[in-house]
Amino acid sequence: MDYSRPELADRLAADYVSGTLRGGARRRLEALLPAHPALRHAVHDWQDRLAPLTASISPQSPPDEVWAGIEATISRRPVVVRPARRKHWWQQLLFWRSFSAFATLAAISAALLLSNPGASQPPMIVVLNATEAPADAAAQGIVAASFVASISGDGRAIVTRPLTKVTLQSDRALELWAVPPSGSPKSLGLIAADGATVVKRDQLPAGTAALAVSLEPPGGSTTGAPTGPVLYVGKLGT
Amino acid sequence: MPSSRADWSSKSEELAKLLSRAGLGDQAAFAALYRHSSAHLFAVILRINRDRAQAQDILQEVYVNVWRAASGFDAAQSQPMTWLTSIARNRAIDSLRRANAQPRLHSSHGKEDEDNDVYDDTADDSPGPLELLNQATLARQLQQCMEGLSAPQRQSLAWAYFDGLSHGEIAAKMAQPLGTVKSWVRRGLQALKPCLDKTRSGSGD
Repeated sequence: MDYSRPELADRLAADYVSGTLRGGARRRLEALLPAHPALRHAVHDWQDRLAPLTASISPQSPPDEVWAGIEATISRRPVVVRPARRKHWWQQLLFWRSFSAFATLAAISAALLLSNPGASQPPMIVVLNATEAPADAAAQGIVAASFVASISGDGRAIVTRPLTKVTLQSDRALELWAVPPSGSPKSLGLIAADGATVVKRDQLPAGTAALAVSLEPPGGSTTGAPTGPVLYVGKLGT
Repeated sequence: MPSSRADWSSKSEELAKLLSRAGLGDQAAFAALYRHSSAHLFAVILRINRDRAQAQDILQEVYVNVWRAASGFDAAQSQPMTWLTSIARNRAIDSLRRANAQPRLHSSHGKEDEDNDVYDDTADDSPGPLELLNQATLARQLQQCMEGLSAPQRQSLAWAYFDGLSHGEIAAKMAQPLGTVKSWVRRGLQALKPCLDKTRSGSGD
């Protein structure tokens, strides 16, 4: 199905936001959102239309224990870690310093690889190593591990696979990103934590210098950029 | 009553500031955000998942997720209340999916009877979904939009949106074929769309 078709995107988004899209269909739509901007915008528009209707529901104060539970969870994060959260990881200087040395080389080799779909290129293997594990990784039910991604010679398919068992809470999802030498990462979609995922794209975004995996809410990031911690990063062409 | 479009927007401005500070790791701002928005989100969740204990767990998860995602919130893109409400609604609807996989439990009532009205075992003084839609309608001066809907369109839409009922559940309650209910909800939404869009652009956001 062509999810960029406005009528289709609008109808699916209306079903999703009104709540009548259920079960597997709901999961599938959430999985499509990161890679389909038209669908994402349609969902956003419907949320914008319908959410104010809830203003008519009489507020109900939750018991104090709810806040106590939230506070206990969010305070577990040590203070040292917090400054790192203030910027998106890809905006941090350190990241780019460590990155710049090979960025040119990577861009060239990626460009060669990607702009040459006719030639039979061998698949490229990218190992995504665990970044500094978030301090509350254990609390989020994550076990540090690495991912391996193999990119087909024509750049149209990526297969990701965890190298060791990754356990994830049911309300979290992993999202794969293509990181360009400059600018924001582009979502490639959600990937499985417990097995292989085949990500099919018309083309890996040109000049992609690295792949990254972030921790996201079930449907993936709704903002178009990583919202959770980046768990794994792997550079192309190394 | 936070029931007018203007209140929704003005509250949103304040919440946007709190959210951006929470995104920088400011726990005091996050606590204030919780104080200002939790009663609304709890009410939204409770209407969809009527099990209080589950609703509390959902609310807690929602705010923990909001804390983690706060730095990614884009005030230029969405109103905070809309953003928060959408997160809460999604989690509440997902919890129904899980609950439906198991036999449905109503903690305070022993016997489950398919013919029981859903409202038999809910707090009596809470307004029905149709009433809510009417209140919201009045508050947002959408009377004419709502009048454009047929009565069954209005009713099925209200059950779907406020109470999280599936097409199948609405069909059972209304004793109508599934396809009929699907088209009521869908046509109801499509009929509301231009009208809601008009009020959106009219309120300047």
